[in-house]
Amino acid sequence: MSEQLTLYLHEISPFSQKVELALVEANAPPYKVYRVDLRNKSEWFTSKVNPVGQVPVVTYGGPNTEPDNPSPLSAKIAESNVILEFLADLYPDSGLLPKNPILRAKVRFFINAITKHIEGTYFSFLRGNESLDNALNAIEFIQELLEEGSDFAIGDHYTIADACISPHLARLKIVTETDIGNFPVGMGYKLGEELKGPKFAKFKKYAQGMLDRPSLKQIYDEEIVIEYFKSIFTDRVQ
Amino acid sequence: MSEQLTLYLHKLSPYSLKIELALIEANAPYKSYQVDFQNKPEWFAGKVNPAGKVPAVTYGGPNVEPDDPSPLSAKIAESNVILEFVADLYPDSGLLPKDLVLRAKVRFFIDATTKHIEGPCYAFFQGKEPYDNILKGIEFIQELLEEGRDFAVGDHYTIADACISPQFEALKIITKTDIGKFPVGMGYKLGEELKGPKFAKFMKYAQRMLDRPSLKQTYDEEFAITFFKTRFTERVQ
Repeated sequence: MSEQLTLYLHEISPFSQKVELALVEANAPPYKVYRVDLRNKSEWFTSKVNPVGQVPVVTYGGPNTEPDNPSPLSAKIAESNVILEFLADLYPDSGLLPKNPILRAKVRFFINAITKHIEGTYFSFLRGNESLDNALNAIEFIQELLEEGSDFAIGDHYTIADACISPHLARLKIVTETDIGNFPVGMGYKLGEELKGPKFAKFKKYAQGMLDRPSLKQIYDEEIVIEYFKSIFTDRVQ
Repeated sequence: MSEQLTLYLHKLSPYSLKIELALIEANAPYKSYQVDFQNKPEWFAGKVNPAGKVPAVTYGGPNVEPDDPSPLSAKIAESNVILEFVADLYPDSGLLPKDLVLRAKVRFFIDATTKHIEGPCYAFFQGKEPYDNILKGIEFIQELLEEGRDFAVGDHYTIADACISPQFEALKIITKTDIGKFPVGMGYKLGEELKGPKFAKFMKYAQRMLDRPSLKQTYDEEFAITFFKTRFTERVQ
């Protein structure tokens, strides 16, 4: 009998979606999902689930209670990349992490690169605090790490590396197609043009493969994220 | 017969030190090579780590001299990635617990160390920020420590302890000698703050980590102090 698993999330959060993707791709046994209202956070969420008040968070084990009545007996696990590793531990034969230590190190290096270059440099570009060139260099760094001749970032199976980057790839598509962001007008379109060039062919192919996966289509609603982006990116730099 | 492991490091790099501590605590055999950053060997970036940084590890391949790395070995960079790799290589060393929830706690602790300790300590040391974020970070870490527990997580030395211990050495030097780019006296002042009852739990844990033979064996505090004295002569006002 497996332990209960409850995921607290929000569909606009790429960090929440990393975890959802991993669960779907791993064919995880049934788990509960609870959508946290980020603008109107329930007091029980911060006091009983995550003191930092952020999503995603997972509760694991303890009695099978309703998500809005979390038990003190369950373990509480926060931070998207920590949760990804936890899921890989929970489902060791899912392929979420390879068995080979060197390949596991490659998966972790890829995730580390996403933190630095996508969640760091590329996010700064979206905020209008970083040049297009540096955003492109960041994507090139990621491209260099992609396995040759594979649909996946590392090895020949979907891993937490793919789950980690896919929500960002989905949002990258929005940026290049709508130019929404705080960077100067047109830079989003320009980013899209550059990524269509031969230099980024490997990245483009990988990204498209990730976007085409049923797991992403199942959990991701582009319209909602477009509306969300319009509401947060209101301060263009010149 | 186990595979060769070579650690490319620098004695003053807190990130390199994390790996040395993990390897020593796991009783793991390894070769080490100190990279001279004033005179970087030109083979280092091409054959070991394209980013040119330490720590970096080669694993497997023929048993060559460290200054003649083989293309057949795996190359692994980034300190926290290497910590997980060492834990994978030595699954019974205790570097990562077997219990899944405890493993998540170790990783959360490492994530918190990166965000709340390493970042603020570096920024303060470089004179870019006052020490307020260090104190906030210490409070955050302190919440994760359990009273009466010798280690960060569980009842064995893990990669969480290895990850944070180098920062205790950095804080010790800063508060003892006031060396750094921050305004004169701020290092001493930070030291005074840390002596308060508010941070007692953290300081007790820090002292236990500083007292471990693995750290004493590998870290030369006097050498570090001498080096930093010559390097950090400019102060912000």
